[in-house]
Amino acid sequence: MHVDLAEFRSAYLDEVEEHLNGVDGLLMRLEDGRHRGQPQLRDLRELMRLLHTIKGLSAMVGVEAIVVIAHRMETIVRSTETSGHRMDEAALEALMAGSRAMASRVKALVENRDVPPPPDALLTALNSAMSRECSSAEAAEVEFDAGLGDKLGPSERQQLLEGVARGLRAVRIDFTPSSERARAGWTITTVRDRLGAVAEIVKVVPIGAPRSAAAPGGLVFALVLLTTASDATLAEMVGGSTADVKSLVTTSAPAAAPYAAEEIDVAEMARPGVIRVEIERVDEAIDGLSALTTTRFRLSHAVRRLAQSGVDTRELSLVMADHERQLRDMRAAILRVRMVPLTTVFERLPLLVRSLTKTSKKRARLEIDSGGAEVDKAVAERLFPALVHLIRNAIDHGLESPEERVRAGKPEEGLVRISCETKSRQVEVRIADDGKGIDRARVAARAGRDASDSATLLSLLCAPGLSTRAEADATSGRGMGMDIARRVVVDRLGGELALDSTGPGGTAFVLRIPLTIAIIDSFAVRCGDERFVVPVPLVDEIVELEASMVVCGPCKGDTQTRFFVRHGATVPLVELAKLLRVPTASGGRQALVVRRSREEPLAFAVERVLGQQETVVRPLDDPLVNVSGISGATDLGDGRATLVLDLVTLSARLEQAEAA
Amino acid sequence: MRNAPVEVTHFDGERVVRSLPIELVAGILVVDDSKVMRDMITACLRSDSSLLVTHAASGLEAIERLSLQRFDVLILDLNMPDIGGLEVVEFVRGQDVLRELPILIVTTRSDDASRKAVLDAGASRFMTKPFTPDVILHEVRLLMTSTGSSGAS
Amino acid sequence: MNPEAITSPSLHGASTLFVVFRVDDTNYALPAETVLQMESFSGATTVPGTQPFVAGIIQLRGHIVPVIDLRARFGLPPAPSSSESRVVVGQLGDRIVALVADSAREVLRLSSEQIKPPPRVLEQGAGGFVRGVAQVGTRTLFILDFGRVIGEEAFDA
Repeated sequence: MHVDLAEFRSAYLDEVEEHLNGVDGLLMRLEDGRHRGQPQLRDLRELMRLLHTIKGLSAMVGVEAIVVIAHRMETIVRSTETSGHRMDEAALEALMAGSRAMASRVKALVENRDVPPPPDALLTALNSAMSRECSSAEAAEVEFDAGLGDKLGPSERQQLLEGVARGLRAVRIDFTPSSERARAGWTITTVRDRLGAVAEIVKVVPIGAPRSAAAPGGLVFALVLLTTASDATLAEMVGGSTADVKSLVTTSAPAAAPYAAEEIDVAEMARPGVIRVEIERVDEAIDGLSALTTTRFRLSHAVRRLAQSGVDTRELSLVMADHERQLRDMRAAILRVRMVPLTTVFERLPLLVRSLTKTSKKRARLEIDSGGAEVDKAVAERLFPALVHLIRNAIDHGLESPEERVRAGKPEEGLVRISCETKSRQVEVRIADDGKGIDRARVAARAGRDASDSATLLSLLCAPGLSTRAEADATSGRGMGMDIARRVVVDRLGGELALDSTGPGGTAFVLRIPLTIAIIDSFAVRCGDERFVVPVPLVDEIVELEASMVVCGPCKGDTQTRFFVRHGATVPLVELAKLLRVPTASGGRQALVVRRSREEPLAFAVERVLGQQETVVRPLDDPLVNVSGISGATDLGDGRATLVLDLVTLSARLEQAEAA
Repeated sequence: MRNAPVEVTHFDGERVVRSLPIELVAGILVVDDSKVMRDMITACLRSDSSLLVTHAASGLEAIERLSLQRFDVLILDLNMPDIGGLEVVEFVRGQDVLRELPILIVTTRSDDASRKAVLDAGASRFMTKPFTPDVILHEVRLLMTSTGSSGAS
Repeated sequence: MNPEAITSPSLHGASTLFVVFRVDDTNYALPAETVLQMESFSGATTVPGTQPFVAGIIQLRGHIVPVIDLRARFGLPPAPSSSESRVVVGQLGDRIVALVADSAREVLRLSSEQIKPPPRVLEQGAGGFVRGVAQVGTRTLFILDFGRVIGEEAFDA
């Protein structure tokens, strides 16, 4: 079987973008910390790890430029961490430039453009940042428990010292894994996550022990922590008893600590009720729900047969109705788990604003009021570029220079404000600036049309011609990237983009985005006159059907069963057109082979596979059209609704129909 | 029945259906904190249906799984949070039952220092990124046929 | 979606604005505040497995809207759609559903006195969905119960 690692490109891009977000966040924290003179060991280590991961992933997928930049950045961070824990301004600037350079190359990949090599100026800056003055940390006089001592390295000891000096307790708590505990949800990963909410985990040390009833795996994890939590709380997080908790400090720490006390953001450390769930686990739950729905279909079929044979099924029908409603509620609840707070999208914006104000010599403040709004993860990921364009416009072109603003009686510092409001099925995101407004007259003149109406003005701004750099002057720049913003919001997210107001006091745009959407990679197929869409993950393989390949099997009732041979096994073949009752003249020429969990694969013949693309799937929520086998509908660009098929469930329905 | 579907239950309740008798299936534990990386490695190994691949997202999770379940090969990334690949190798080699477990290390280029350290600590073989599917399959097969051979590829 | 050219009924005392449409030579009406929009109808995408009176789904301003064929809903034989066919898009709570009518041309005002309860003889066909009858000149208008037309539990037990 041919494995093309390039298939992982989009998964790579997603993961790399997430890591770059992490890098930006850490760089901002380091900058903040630098001003207060604080060391930030944890952040440095995490930054190093992220850069190393980015480097390795990029090497696998073959993006050399990013490998080079990540490597240099990693080297800088590593030497800072092992030496003086203090990074100078020049190094930080170089790292931020490096992050931007990596991000723009990722963007090039996303847009299928060539990835440019790293700029020489950046490499020089990174190289020179690698040599710096070291300051040695003064060691305090604290001893640790000998059993653990040789497993803790110098930087971990340093971390513990600093923590004790700040007033935290240094403790060790043991966790013993077993199959039974794992089944109940207690694994080292879950225990570590739980403890992470109430303590700073310095290190987790695995300790081998002879197998016994107490340690069936022959393994104990000793978690070394800095915390203000009580022994009882810690024991609870581990599912153990306070006997598992031991203090680590055997002598008292000296009064004079080398660094000033760092304020611990307690709210940050203990966030009740927030659990990070991998998206894949949520999707697994949704798959489980599909299986439940299939079973329910079989159940309702059986009830109908009972009714037909004269049994009184009224009570059974009432129960079935309840059951259906519960399934719907559960689906809604699971989809809610995919919701992420919009703050996760917004937290990258301050860095953007910072670099925009530097390059454009404007002064601007960014205010964010997310209002607790949450959207589906898929929406959040796609929203960011639209926000970037609008904010860039606002700062580059909307806000006046500080002098102009003073002349106009405005404060020197401009304001860009993002606020959100959640409505019943949508989130409204408002981006407002207090700059000089859009020059309607110029836009109208350029387009040769009247632009007194906001909706018209907006569509003129979004027209691709007016939205390019070349036309920026003509629209006083406000058109830049507007067509991209609109394409993201309307086409990719199924939402609305509106110009709320514009005048000498500023401009406000409103984005209305649906709370949940699904965007999936799909194949478009043709059956007769109709087109359908099939999600790529369902399809194992696309096979060209030659007449000689297809074997006719025995007749089942009035249907002729057909097969073809694939990898030494016979695969049943179904005409999709027949299944969906689409009139068609010719039989299928290509077949989509669908893998099913417990059974042999099944192939669906279609006339032609038209292509593969990302589609926005809108669910068919209304009870009138909420049928199993149809995941939703999408627009392939012709304005009509095209159905998205769930072939696995459809095939189950087919079997039920045949069994009847 | 020789080639019947067999359900294998892992300690965390994860169930997998294979179509080979359980004794002929080799358990591979792939450890890397990047899901993309784990998926890529699994995809490379997928063509050999006698390999049953399990994932661990951290060194700690790997050690936990190794203590509760038997594996035939350990594929390990060096760069991970909390406990890196080197420490995992050191720990594994310190356990009697795991001393002979073949360990394949995955590293990036120009990482000579850590590569030497991890081989000294007892890793069996190593591979550098980027690698192609046939390379990793070859390495895994080598490890399964000759136990405990050490050396660079 | 915004309603088309519909003014607030409260200005006119105890009378309400209604949207009138025809299905097979009979006039039906819905309160204007239930109706979001009216559009010409050029076919819906069939959804297999739905009830026979569900024509399918259409896409309207980015929303997926189910479409009910009123002829089928009222138990009438199907007729070919013409250029006059209209979808009347109505909303009840969170649900937005479109109804296909043979034509839809009028909006008129009815006072509460004009609307009488439906005669008991209307049991079959459209009868179950009518909540009132009004005489306007020589014409009889049947006021529909939108909720019943779109049904709340519209799938098999």
